[in-house]
Formats: sequence, C-alpha cells, structure tokens
Amino acid sequence: MRHRFDVRVGPVGFRIGADWRAPIAQLADLYRDYAKPADGIPDFTVRLTATRPWRRWIRPSVAITGDYTLPEAAPLPLAQGLLAAEMAMNLQMALGWRRHLLLHASVVENNGRALVMTGESGAGKSTLAALLAAQGWRFMGDEFALLDPDTGALHPFPRITSLKNQSVAAMAAIKPDARWGPLLAGTPKGDIRHLVPDASAISAMDVAAVPALLLFPRFGFAAAERSVPASEALVRLTQASTNYTALGEKGFVALTRLIASVPAVAIDYPDGDTALALIQRLMR
Amino acid sequence: MIYCAPPASALLHQPLDAFTAVFHRSSGITHLLVPPAPQILATLSVEGLSRDALLERLRDEYDLADADPLALTARLDELVAAGLVTQRAARA
Amino acid sequence: MSDAEAPDDKAGNLAPDGVPTRRRVLVLGAVTASAVVSIRPALAQTAGSVMTCEIPVPDAGRAGSFIADDGSVVPAGTQGAYPASGRPFKGQEVKQALAGGQLPGTTWESNRAYVNYIRRLQRGQGGFTCFASLQMPRG
Repeated sequence: MRHRFDVRVGPVGFRIGADWRAPIAQLADLYRDYAKPADGIPDFTVRLTATRPWRRWIRPSVAITGDYTLPEAAPLPLAQGLLAAEMAMNLQMALGWRRHLLLHASVVENNGRALVMTGESGAGKSTLAALLAAQGWRFMGDEFALLDPDTGALHPFPRITSLKNQSVAAMAAIKPDARWGPLLAGTPKGDIRHLVPDASAISAMDVAAVPALLLFPRFGFAAAERSVPASEALVRLTQASTNYTALGEKGFVALTRLIASVPAVAIDYPDGDTALALIQRLMR
Repeated sequence: MIYCAPPASALLHQPLDAFTAVFHRSSGITHLLVPPAPQILATLSVEGLSRDALLERLRDEYDLADADPLALTARLDELVAAGLVTQRAARA
Repeated sequence: MSDAEAPDDKAGNLAPDGVPTRRRVLVLGAVTASAVVSIRPALAQTAGSVMTCEIPVPDAGRAGSFIADDGSVVPAGTQGAYPASGRPFKGQEVKQALAGGQLPGTTWESNRAYVNYIRRLQRGQGGFTCFASLQMPRG
C-alpha cells in the first residue's frame, strides 16, 4: 500500500493502508498521541482501495478491504475516507477479535468503577460517554466494550468518537480545547465529526476497570428509570455482542458472570443534563 | 417414547431470575428456561423416562398443581425442539 | 424444609415420624405456553455502519435472471416476472422499503417482487448479511 499508518488502541494493533494520502494523514494526525502495535506487528490490516483503477482520481471512491471483509459493504467517497477507515477497524474487531467478549457499548470509568452503556442507534451511548468524559470520567471507548472472559474486567479501547451534528455543537461548547477531526458532511450517519479522547484517556489505555453498572439509555423521553431483570439483560447483551456465539462456552460464562455481579438499569432521558444527574446518582 | 436428558457435563446452568440460562456445549446454543423446564431436565436421566413415568416422578418430587399429561407432552416437545432432550423408542 | 408450618400446609406430606414436609410447587403450564426460549444472537452484528451495506437483486451469480412476484428467481424473459435491478440497493433504501416504502427505480409491482426476493435471502447469497443486520436492532 502506497500510504500507511500503524496504531495501537488498547490491546489491538491496526495497520491501515490506502491508495490515497489524505485519509492516512488525517488518521496519523488524530491518533498522533497513541501507541504503536506491540513489536510492530498489527493484529489487523485494513486497506482503503479504489473500487476501480480509474476511481483513484475520477469521483474517487473508497472500498474497504482487509483481513476481514464484507463483500456487500458499499464504497464511500474519498472525502469520507476517515469514516471508511474507522468503519473498517470496527469490522475487523466485530468479525475477528476473540480475546475479549465484545459488547456494542460505550464505557467510562470513575473511581475504578466502570459504567457500560448499550442500546440502539440514537440511544446516546457516544454522546453520554463524551459528556461524562468532559466531567472528568475516564473514557474507555464508545464502540466496543472489551470484557475479559478470564477476569471479568473491562479493557479500554478508546478510539476517536464519531458524533453527530447536535452533539458536536454541545461538546464543542463544553470542551473548547478538545481536538476534532474534519467535518464529514452527508455521510450514511449524517453530518459527523470525530472527537479525539483527552490525553489522560489515551495514556491510560492499558488500565482495565471493574464493571459496576450496566445501563440501557434511551434518548428523547421523559426521565424514567427501572431495574432490568437479569434474563432481560442477558438477551439484550447477547444481541449487542458481535462475538458471543463465536466464543461459545467462554462467552456464556463471561456474560452470565457479568450479569450476576453487576446491576442493570434502563433509563429514559430528555436531555444530557438529566441523564448525567440520573447516572451520578446510580453510580454513587 | 422415552425422553432422555443429556449427561450433566453437556450443560452449563446459570440461574438468573425467574429464568435459568442454560448453555448446551455440543450445539453452542444458549437457552433461557422457566419452570417446569429446568425441573424436567433435572428429573430426566441419560437412560430416559416415558412421559407417564416422568409425570409420576414429578408428582413425587413436587407439589404438581396441574398433572396434565398433555401439558407435559407440550413441555417435552419444546425441549426436544430445542435440542435439550432426545427421544428414542421404548425397548420391548 | 421447615417442620414448623404443618397443619394447613396443603402441599404437605407426612414423613414417617409424623413431621410434615413441604414440596415445592410446580406448574406444567398450558399446552400452548412456552418454557424454553433459545437465544439467537444476530448473525450480522457488524459494527461497520449497517446503512452502507448493499443488496444486489438478484445476487451477482444470477445477474441475468428475472424475479417473480413472490421473490423467486426465474429464467430471463419469464412472463410476469421482472428484470434484475440495474444496481444494488443500499441498506437504508431496503430498510425503508421493508417499512412500507418503495425501492428506487421500481414500480409498485416490481418493488413487491424485489422486496419478496430480499425477504427470502438465505445465508451464502449475496446481500444476506446486510439484510440480516437490517433486521436486528443495533446500537
């Protein structure tokens, strides 16, 4: 690959190669404070390639390939190459990572106790994680929670976060000194910008945390809260896991242990401040 | 028809709330069971029991509120469909 | 097993020494009820954005075929069937069609045929993972 960038996020090393310089330059800038893969050997390789040779220059179109690939993934315009790289990294994790049970969730930590937030698109996992991080919580990731099947602890995986327009404005107001990626307009996820986690989150990306609360947030409703029974939590979390089935017995033991040892709560919230107040109280 | 449970080593059980989570090692499938399914599995053995023999056992061990053979058949059919119970013809 | 609550214990047996025991209540349930739920985690929890996947109609291996009303793949030129879609459909377009909208570039009839084709997709056919992930709630 003509242009290349290696990075390690938590326990996972990536090599990202591309036919174009721009997305690699953007990645290298946003991930400049991150570590490199252990021993220089990445766990996954991702390639951003032109869909046809002439598409490197004419309406340039980025196809995602790599160690793991989805043949039906639609290509993205070059302007969204950064998003393509992030999606490609998600795909490698979802299809290929076996060292941890993966939950599609955001994770933040305070006083050694980790909060795991999971739910449908739009539930607010990424925004809530960013808001809590702005309040001094440690950001441990917002795409995947990595649950160690042997210890039951959560390993950080703090990639850059993609936030949608309204959340971008809110976060920019709260943390004016935060670093942002470029505005990517008209993506399949709408207008987005990537937020770089703060320095303390990056430097602590090898420090695990014990899960203390499983939260199922839902945005856009009057404030409400209910305890989630263990069986319901199990079903929801198996749906939120990309590798529960692949892990077999280890996955069953890890997930049932998590549910048996950690309370699960569902909250509805109309706005960020309400959610933060609910969360502060639940995590006391 | 004789209904057989898998050997104890074939299953992992985790009681949750009203449900018990069961992992079936050979299929890799996770099931959620509510009573009377876990109790039926516990009462059946690898050698197996007929439906009527199972009904008698359950009456002995539990206060069976509705000792209905058709209901028991329905529960057994479910367990067979899930792969947790196997059936074989009775030996002459 | 407490021997303190005996006299009105309907469930009680009497053990040989006359001390009552209580058995746990068990209910077999109605014939139509269910006591076993098998968890079927989503097949395609790909965290790459679901909306950017594509579904060709029909899949690339049968690109020259037609699609009948019920979604089955039939030889090209079959009476009452529709030609293959000129381009694959994006996840977002299929999601809207499944919710009652219409796929771009189709008539009411050809839309119905294509949607039926998509609903009948099996593992191994092009677009299946995309379709499966559209069905599953994901965060």
